[in-house]
Amino acid sequence: MEKPERLIVDGKRLDGRAPDELRPLKIKAGVLKRADGSAYVELGRNKILAAVYGPREMHPRHLQQPDTAVLRCRYNMAPFSVEERKRPGPDRRSVEISKVAREALEPVVFLELYPRAAIDVFIEVLQADAGTRTTGITAAAVALADAGIPMRDLVAAVAVGKVDDTIVLDLTSEEDQWGTTDMPVAIMPRKKLITLLQMDGHFTGEEFKQALALAFKGCEQIYEAQKLALKERYSVKHEEER
Amino acid sequence: MLHVQNRELVVPGQLLAEGGYVIRQGAFREGDRIYSSVVGLADLHGQEIRVIPLQGRYIPKRGDIVIGVVIDTHYSGWILDLNSPYVGNLFVSDLLRRKVDLLREDITKYLDIGDVVVAQVKEVDELMRVQLEAGEPGLGKVEGGKLVEIVPAKIPRVIGRKGSMLNTLQSVSGCRLKVGQNGRVMIWGEDQRMVNAVVEALLTIEREAHTSGLTDRVRAMLEKLKSEGGK
Repeated sequence: MEKPERLIVDGKRLDGRAPDELRPLKIKAGVLKRADGSAYVELGRNKILAAVYGPREMHPRHLQQPDTAVLRCRYNMAPFSVEERKRPGPDRRSVEISKVAREALEPVVFLELYPRAAIDVFIEVLQADAGTRTTGITAAAVALADAGIPMRDLVAAVAVGKVDDTIVLDLTSEEDQWGTTDMPVAIMPRKKLITLLQMDGHFTGEEFKQALALAFKGCEQIYEAQKLALKERYSVKHEEER
Repeated sequence: MLHVQNRELVVPGQLLAEGGYVIRQGAFREGDRIYSSVVGLADLHGQEIRVIPLQGRYIPKRGDIVIGVVIDTHYSGWILDLNSPYVGNLFVSDLLRRKVDLLREDITKYLDIGDVVVAQVKEVDELMRVQLEAGEPGLGKVEGGKLVEIVPAKIPRVIGRKGSMLNTLQSVSGCRLKVGQNGRVMIWGEDQRMVNAVVEALLTIEREAHTSGLTDRVRAMLEKLKSEGGK
């Protein structure tokens, strides 16, 4: 795709959204039968699957922590998830994202309840369109809750950025590519604590404050959708459990 | 002050109550506020708050009856798989309830790899090392029968209120059942057809644990299969 002349025309973005609008969001919990917990999230053209296994016995044994469980996270992009075939397997980028995703999720999980155990989180990107790390974290939080793992809160994540000198929410790949700034943010919505904050590009102090406020607003919407997805998964069932 | 209704479906981080309530399970306190930590059903009982989980692995608790499978033997006992992140340790003396001369006796004649054991959790320490005992009557090595595994969170429904579901299953089918808190159920019966019917019934309970009148439906289902007789 060629670089368009302008990314924002008459206050509307290329896909017709307002600057503070999310892409269409769909969350479904419990999609995988063999995983302990799972979730599927679509955000615009992003399609991401998250699976959680555990708590289970930690192998290799020397990585066990005697007083707490260990959260392990793998972010992986399918070779067909992007326009040009991606070489399969971990690369510098996905190793980094696995690490930051793990650190974004760790504060909400009651790891100390399961000494010596491991909780494995797999984030598989089936189709990518910018903001896969944040969407992956959103999916992983739902999958963790679906697995019945005790958590302090969910984690909601979204990216904000600057495109044509405008602060926008939830960038598409075009906006990411030709915009000035991209800033993924993950929060624990209940206490409004930030668990992930990265930035590519630059903001002035004032812009940063604006962008962060916008990210919080976006995360609130995602948080509501996450709660709804979890309730939908079980509300049909379990009306009358003993 | 309560923020949820009894039997309401709650999600992690949801505010349940404020004030001096007692937390039984599935919730945590931050200052004066009590939040749910799992997806489950809020169960309010006077001053007690509990969230009944709908998913999750079995975590060993002292006093639980569990059904384990021997995965290894060592010179003074066995290691049992408990369908849990943690394995169980069973010593010979906790199985036989007597002193055993380990130099003279080969303990694999009592239990060997692959054997199924009904045991009680004797002790769980802070490192989640699990000690089992299996000397009491009704515990010990399992002979014959069929082993079924379901989600551990659904086990209370298999037992039912004051054992009602379990009684129904046993009396209608004529089979004998042993329920482990770790999601495993042993079934013994003369009639193979009824044993299979009980397996069906258990899977139905797992699938429909949420619905009311389940005991009656399971009874009807078993009686129907029974009356069809030797077809």
